[in-house]
Amino acid sequence: MSVKQERPSAVSSALAKDRLGIPSVVFFVISAAAPLTVVAGSVSTAYAATDVVGVPLGFLLIGAILAIFAVGYVTMARHVVNAGAFYAYTAKGLGRPVGVATAWVALLAYNALQIGLYGAVGFAAEPLIKAWFGSSPPWWVIGLVFWAITGVLGLMRVDVNGKILAFLLITEIAVVLVFDFVGLLNPASVGFSLNVFNPGELFVGGLGAVIATCVASFSGFESSVVFAEETKDPRRTVPMATYISLAVISILYAFSAWAMTVPIGSDKIIQTAKELGPNLYFAAPKEHLGETIATIASVLFVTSIVAALIAFHNTISRYIFALGRERVLPAAFGHTSATGAPIVGSLTQTVIGVIVIIIYAIYDLDPFLQLFFVFGSFGGLGVLLMLAATSAAVIAYFIKTPNNENVWRTKIAPGLAFVLLLVVIALVMVNFDTVLGVPPDSVLRWILPAIFVVAIGFGLAWGAVLRARKPDVYATIGMGAQAAVKGIK
Amino acid sequence: MAKDHLSGSLLANDLYFVLHNDRTGRMRLHPRVTGLGLAGAVLGELMLAGHITAGIAAGEVRLALVNTHPTGDPVTQKALDHIIAEPSHSFRTWLQFLGQSAPADVGSRMIQAGLLHPPARRSWLRAAPPPTPVDPNTAMWPIGRLNLAVERREPLNEQDNVLLGLVSAAGGARVVLWDQDPDYLAHATAALPVHLRELVAQTEAAVGDAVISRR
Repeated sequence: MSVKQERPSAVSSALAKDRLGIPSVVFFVISAAAPLTVVAGSVSTAYAATDVVGVPLGFLLIGAILAIFAVGYVTMARHVVNAGAFYAYTAKGLGRPVGVATAWVALLAYNALQIGLYGAVGFAAEPLIKAWFGSSPPWWVIGLVFWAITGVLGLMRVDVNGKILAFLLITEIAVVLVFDFVGLLNPASVGFSLNVFNPGELFVGGLGAVIATCVASFSGFESSVVFAEETKDPRRTVPMATYISLAVISILYAFSAWAMTVPIGSDKIIQTAKELGPNLYFAAPKEHLGETIATIASVLFVTSIVAALIAFHNTISRYIFALGRERVLPAAFGHTSATGAPIVGSLTQTVIGVIVIIIYAIYDLDPFLQLFFVFGSFGGLGVLLMLAATSAAVIAYFIKTPNNENVWRTKIAPGLAFVLLLVVIALVMVNFDTVLGVPPDSVLRWILPAIFVVAIGFGLAWGAVLRARKPDVYATIGMGAQAAVKGIK
Repeated sequence: MAKDHLSGSLLANDLYFVLHNDRTGRMRLHPRVTGLGLAGAVLGELMLAGHITAGIAAGEVRLALVNTHPTGDPVTQKALDHIIAEPSHSFRTWLQFLGQSAPADVGSRMIQAGLLHPPARRSWLRAAPPPTPVDPNTAMWPIGRLNLAVERREPLNEQDNVLLGLVSAAGGARVVLWDQDPDYLAHATAALPVHLRELVAQTEAAVGDAVISRR
């Protein structure tokens, strides 16, 4: 018997050839998080919009909270394999109606994060086009061009090729590091100061706003568990890839956010960020490394945003597809195109994107602050809600399900993460006026979070309707494509 | 037993014709989806010939052996040998595994049978062109059969019901059927015995997973 077991399985080894190792998963995850987009776009905006100097510490803090969250999250991934991780987990742990509510929140949040990037890409590409052709169309025309590209690639089922992604990512990170060291080699008159890591600089009035930005910057890290079935050894690959990605992302962001302050001086960083916006990031390197390097960095800024656009577009259309397969959304959403793309899901996301771009163009709103930053922070709030709900779901699931995981993984870490995430959500809510850049008494600060409350309400209600009217659909909530398998009686 | 099915057309050959252009021989769907569909058809041939069935073991749906007599055909024999050697894999693992080789295996069986031209040599400039059907009319016949039956609302025989189910599971119905009457499709699948219904459902789920997975 033992001899038979030692013989390598022809089936397993044939399938393993096609599977992912830790580096591949880390690449997918980090490129979805789009490091250059965050460092050049989000960090400078965070300084400018929040008036908080402690942004670098914010990244470390959120990285640490997410690492605690990840303990329970990757443990759950060993027991529940599904491509729509968050809502599958809450459906299993907290009940199927909560799963539907989570799915609605996910669709809102990911759409917001994706659409915000159309503002960023318009903003990032405009100066390049101006430099090359003398003049540039308005940001929304550029946004529409990239919108069309994303839509077409989504239908053709083109995931940016893994190798291209890896090349772009490595170049991006190289540029970020080079720029960081240029900053460090050219300190301002105040010299090196580590006071951006001083808690006193973070725990101030605008703390919640910094956190919202940081969370939005990390979004994409959660996709690691989605690869569970595609990895060589899910028990090891997924947790390792998750922790490595979180560590790389948070250290890179914190280090870069700090390095950015060095040539300017942490006392002047807020003022300079307000004046220069995202150009803040390219100013010092342009001065010290020359035009060519700065241009290459600007081009990479654009490609980094485009990679993130495509990644989020595909995430959303697959979410919609999975819900269509479960019949939680109408069956048409579960259709595929001849290219194997989730066609209706992809088109839906594309339509939502163009509506927002057109509204912003008509009302002449700012593509960076009012589209990228506001939508990004709104999406970040949604991600926080999902993270908190998922932590609770992990605890509930392991109470209900017999398992041999230890208490740290199933109760303590997820419990700690849940409490920390609730505190974080409260802080974000307190500062949501700053996040949006509106006066404290503006109704907008309550309307936007209320959209999530409405989505949750509709989700719970829809779950209840399905339970009463369509029990066979209700039974498969959270199963994704496997919903097709009703089981042999 | 197996002879009965060999006298007519084989399920996987029919599906191959449905999923490839009748003149150019190009795939109509994504390669991964085509592979999963044809893997379903190879398992379908084994089920129709009474070699295997679907069953629950260790909490998951697996393939269960019914008889291990030679199938008299290299493609199904190779699959059956694998199943005999490693019976403890889940149904979906078998679809993924066979999906890697099914298009090439079924293609070469059809070349042997004179249904497809052997592919032209690849040049160093271009990838090898796909094998092309010897007779476009033969290649069109499975699609025609399904379309006529759907249009006239006539019931299909068991093998063609499985064929219709697999075409639909692979997302090919919208590509090759003139009329995708959901009631007719549901009825056709419902008419199948439980193990063949499971085959169609597992194929649909595997195709869905392939669409969701990021590669």
